[in-house]
Amino acid sequence: MKKAIGDNMIPKEWGFEKGLELVKQAGFDGIELWLGDVPWFQMGTPDGEVRELRRRVENAGLVVSNVSTGLHWASPLSARDPKVRAQAVRIVEREIETAVLLGTDAILLVAGLVTPEVPYNEVYQRCLEALRSLGEKAARSGVRIGCENCNAEQRFLISPREFWQFLNEVNSPAVGIHLDVGNIHDTGFAEQWIEIHGPRITRIHVKDVMTKRGRCGDQSVYTNLFLGDNNWPAIRGAITKVGYDGWLVAEMEARYRYAPDQQFYDTARAMDRLISGQF
Amino acid sequence: MSITRRRFLGYTAGVLAAGLPGVSLEVTRRGCVLLDLNEGGCFRESVSGFESALTSAGAQWMRADALWMSPSRCAVLIVPAALEIPPPVVRVIVSCLQAGAGVIVESGAGFATDREFRAHRVVLRDYLQVHIEEPVELWPENSSQRIPYVDYTWPRPAKVRDFSRVVPLGRQAGEVIAWVDGVPVALKRPGGRGNLIFLGSLLGPALWAGDAQARRWLLDCLRTAGAERV
Repeated sequence: MKKAIGDNMIPKEWGFEKGLELVKQAGFDGIELWLGDVPWFQMGTPDGEVRELRRRVENAGLVVSNVSTGLHWASPLSARDPKVRAQAVRIVEREIETAVLLGTDAILLVAGLVTPEVPYNEVYQRCLEALRSLGEKAARSGVRIGCENCNAEQRFLISPREFWQFLNEVNSPAVGIHLDVGNIHDTGFAEQWIEIHGPRITRIHVKDVMTKRGRCGDQSVYTNLFLGDNNWPAIRGAITKVGYDGWLVAEMEARYRYAPDQQFYDTARAMDRLISGQF
Repeated sequence: MSITRRRFLGYTAGVLAAGLPGVSLEVTRRGCVLLDLNEGGCFRESVSGFESALTSAGAQWMRADALWMSPSRCAVLIVPAALEIPPPVVRVIVSCLQAGAGVIVESGAGFATDREFRAHRVVLRDYLQVHIEEPVELWPENSSQRIPYVDYTWPRPAKVRDFSRVVPLGRQAGEVIAWVDGVPVALKRPGGRGNLIFLGSLLGPALWAGDAQARRWLLDCLRTAGAERV
């Protein structure tokens, strides 16, 4: 397995170049690029500049692990307004296009949001329809769409069997799950999600979670690896069992208040322990 | 859409077994016609909702083009998510009403731009004498405490999820048959020898999402609108 970390973790004042050096020095193999979340990679970034990003990543001795985005929180595929939905589709298409330019084969998508206004059944149907069509586009480009399990925030596809059923209905080999082992909280167990989804896992986001602490205001329930309540030996066992040998991508919500670069080193070391299975 | 006798009986049996009201013979003999103005449009899900509700209820229905359809063979005409209503469609709606059909016009103007809405309002006013107000946003920012239902009173009481934006009715003749938050959003009125039913809140997406009450409401509406001749 290989280790990556998101470019949205790079301290804002550092910039992309210095951030890449840090990622490399900390011991990561790759970097996850977040479309729309960082100044150097926006929806309007032209193809030429995207190719330049790839060149800079490779010059730093890294590769792009995958393309992700947080833009679907504001423009979900499940929106009722057709104009918002069209924008959501365009975001996925741009993720696919840039994944090809960046030399990676996976993108992340937060598929749909259940809200007091937009009910579950509508969200389900709309996401199903959108992903059937987007799956064909992704397949033509040799890219896999990983729908992320954002259980608590999305209020959608909350159990692993339901997620599995959803993917069955989408019925596209190009649409799978970008599994976040920290997002399951106390609604289940990450190792069981890994077992159920096995070959459909496109990438794995890693972070730890404090399941007994509810989110209060903007206080995070997420923490660094091994500090929370995830059962990491069980997670490692499940990864071995299903034969997943792809990217582990660090995604920390809570950042170090001081010496922010230290989080990169600590996380890389913890991921080494996870990969080696030495707990 | 052609339908075999065996398939029709099968559908009907399914409907009865599910406890849903069947569609009247009047409607099934003369048929229900879905006029799809949404080819490549923004509310395919509304069209799909009507299609799936009609199919699962065993109604005899067909999709038609305004240029080729014969109003005399139509018991109920449904125009889902209508926004731009071109003259041939207006002519079909009026002909169907004159021939005694029930006509359901679902407005798709809730999410329209100002220009689209103005054109929509003019056509409804000038050709169907339906007066509407500007779309209302039912879910203002940070509001999560409202009751999210449109209350239909005819042909049966039904609660159907709102669709975030509605096109309210202006003051006019006819019977208001649905309200949301005190705003009138659906109207029934005799037109020609038939009945015009105008929906200012999208129903199709609720049908598409499988809302059983919305489906029952539609079936009752088909049965009643197609049978109630003036």
